[in-house]
Amino acid sequence: MSGRGLFLVGLSHKSAPIEVRERVALNGADLKAALQQLRASQGVEEAFVVSTCNRVEVFVQAEGEEAARRFFTSRAEQAGDHLYVKAGADAVRHLFRVAASLDSMVVGEQQILGQVKEAYGLASGVEAAGSYMSRLCNRAFATAKRVRTETGIGRGATSMSQVAVELVEKIFGDLKGRTILLLGAGKMGALSAKALQVLGADRVLVTNRSPERGQQLAAQVQGTFRPWADLHQLLVEADVVIVSTGAPSYVLTAAMVRTAKKQRRHRNLCLIDLAVPRNVDPACADLEDVFGYDVDDMQKVVSANHQARQGEAQSAEAIVEAEVLAFTRERETRAALPVLVTLRLRAEAIARAEAERTLQKAGAALDDRTRASIEAMASAIVNKLLHLPTVRLKAAAAVGESALAGAVAELFGLDQAQPPPGGRRAPLANGATTPGLPPPEKDDQ
Amino acid sequence: MSLDLLRFTAGLYAVAAAGYLLYFARPRYTLAARVGGWFLSGGVVVHLAAIGLACKEFGGLEWFTLRGGMVLTAVLLAGAYLLVQRFYHLPSVGAFVTPLTLIILLPTLFGEGGAPGVAPAALRHPAITGHIMTASLGVALFGLAFGVALMYLLQEREVKGKRFGALFSRLPPLGSLDKLTDRLVRIGFLFFTVASIAGAVIARSVWKSAWSWDPQQVSTLAIWALYGGMVQLRHLGWHGRRYALLTVFGFAILMTSIVTLRSVPGLTMHAGEYKGPNTESNK
Repeated sequence: MSGRGLFLVGLSHKSAPIEVRERVALNGADLKAALQQLRASQGVEEAFVVSTCNRVEVFVQAEGEEAARRFFTSRAEQAGDHLYVKAGADAVRHLFRVAASLDSMVVGEQQILGQVKEAYGLASGVEAAGSYMSRLCNRAFATAKRVRTETGIGRGATSMSQVAVELVEKIFGDLKGRTILLLGAGKMGALSAKALQVLGADRVLVTNRSPERGQQLAAQVQGTFRPWADLHQLLVEADVVIVSTGAPSYVLTAAMVRTAKKQRRHRNLCLIDLAVPRNVDPACADLEDVFGYDVDDMQKVVSANHQARQGEAQSAEAIVEAEVLAFTRERETRAALPVLVTLRLRAEAIARAEAERTLQKAGAALDDRTRASIEAMASAIVNKLLHLPTVRLKAAAAVGESALAGAVAELFGLDQAQPPPGGRRAPLANGATTPGLPPPEKDDQ
Repeated sequence: MSLDLLRFTAGLYAVAAAGYLLYFARPRYTLAARVGGWFLSGGVVVHLAAIGLACKEFGGLEWFTLRGGMVLTAVLLAGAYLLVQRFYHLPSVGAFVTPLTLIILLPTLFGEGGAPGVAPAALRHPAITGHIMTASLGVALFGLAFGVALMYLLQEREVKGKRFGALFSRLPPLGSLDKLTDRLVRIGFLFFTVASIAGAVIARSVWKSAWSWDPQQVSTLAIWALYGGMVQLRHLGWHGRRYALLTVFGFAILMTSIVTLRSVPGLTMHAGEYKGPNTESNK
């Protein structure tokens, strides 16, 4: 059997260990070369490759998946054991799920959509991806956008420093004019401070027991270094204190915060303790206008958010399903409509002409009712005869298989019909005698 | 007629409240918040029409009773919220303010007639419309501040108690709520001050003395001082929880005093029971 369809061959963090993934992952010039090679393979019409650290997936519009499979086995022999192969609507669904970040390690993470976009850009740049892939990918991007806006899948921080930033935002709202104090030179603290600066906090103060490291860190986060001895004054000035020292005990005690509070009036103070063992006395958080969080609190948020994302994933799957259906339907009509319409018009014209001839011959011998039923019979024959071909043509076209439509066009001599892309090349007899193809997927080969 | 319109208004507000509450419960339905906004705007328009009609029916806008005051305050509260929403875009506030509007409006829909108790001719003074409008607007703004402060207290409980659940994610940040409360209190205080001055001017011309130890005057002065004190405390650095508590407390006192003064007969000569010429319709 011949006829083109969409195939996906790939491996991901779910099917293959990192040792295998790193041997088949490609980027830049290597990827371009591989795409050109794929495109040049026998029977491949279009191709595009998504290659990230978590997945390598080859999408081809081709007569079979062999070329795509070779992409992997030629690079790493053992990759063959980890591959998954999908065809037709399954392949479409997979791409939509990947783009919508439903197949990611951290469900709902935002990077993957950009990576898929980049992959498509690269493939269309070397003309490996053509009109079919363009429609497919654009639909995938639209699906991803819908999922992001209509579900909460991307909501909620999934790392500690993100949680810290989220908390600070919930307390202060606008960070403009707020002061961040970094207490200690831990790396996590610096990360969070950077994130807060991005959100508009314009003043970062750094203090550390050893001035050298403190000054270093201050330069790194574009803050001001202040000596450790100023700690009391710093507690008065700061709105957010991020603590990450290596001290084995409390660096901030409730007594210190209480003293600072007298000068702070009722301004809110947020204490974020990123150290283990803890550096901030938990009793601080009981004081009025003081909000204190430690590593455990934030870890809880992270895992809760992971769970929430899983829940949102269900509504996201429904969106993906609807989009897959819409895409295949669209393909269906796009590919099959011209041929179907011409075929039907032709058949109806013949039926009408024959019915008229019969009626003319009979002349006045027939009454109006009999005439009407003869006309009805003619169009009923057309409908019955064309019903199954219509269904089959739509089903075949739904998965991008255009040979059947091409064959029908050839067989019935529907010259004005616009066969779908590449359709005319399909061999004559084959498509027409294709024994009842049950809908999508497992059609060709 | 105007009462029927008011009842229709209440229906519109109820739909608006339902929309905002639905949005609050399921933030994904942003359409619900928009529908809430439309119905609230529609409600305000019909409400104003009802007030206009009542003016013709009862001969003036100088409404004197609790019923009249509540009708005015409700429309001003809804209008003030719509205005605030233009600048702050916090649709979750709607879930608190719209029901409050409805609660204020509801008691006015029952009982006999809809007479808002227009001020008797003896009290007709050029400043009286301004007095009633600014006073109602002040009360409406304090009411709005009350709603926002309640949200602050709720959110503070969530943030401080490390309850990062639905409320936490749906309520706006503490900082924004705090700022909004402060602005509303300030503007409300401004209108309240203007209303008090106008009131004194009227009292002077009607009773020949600006101050007469009338319970209405005493309580107004106390409330004015309370809110004035709050504005002062803000300058002294009061923020956050304390300030929100004060705002809630202030509005509770304000409401209690209004309701008491207006519903206990003969307590104040400012109420609808004012005995003078042309006071048949005072309920």
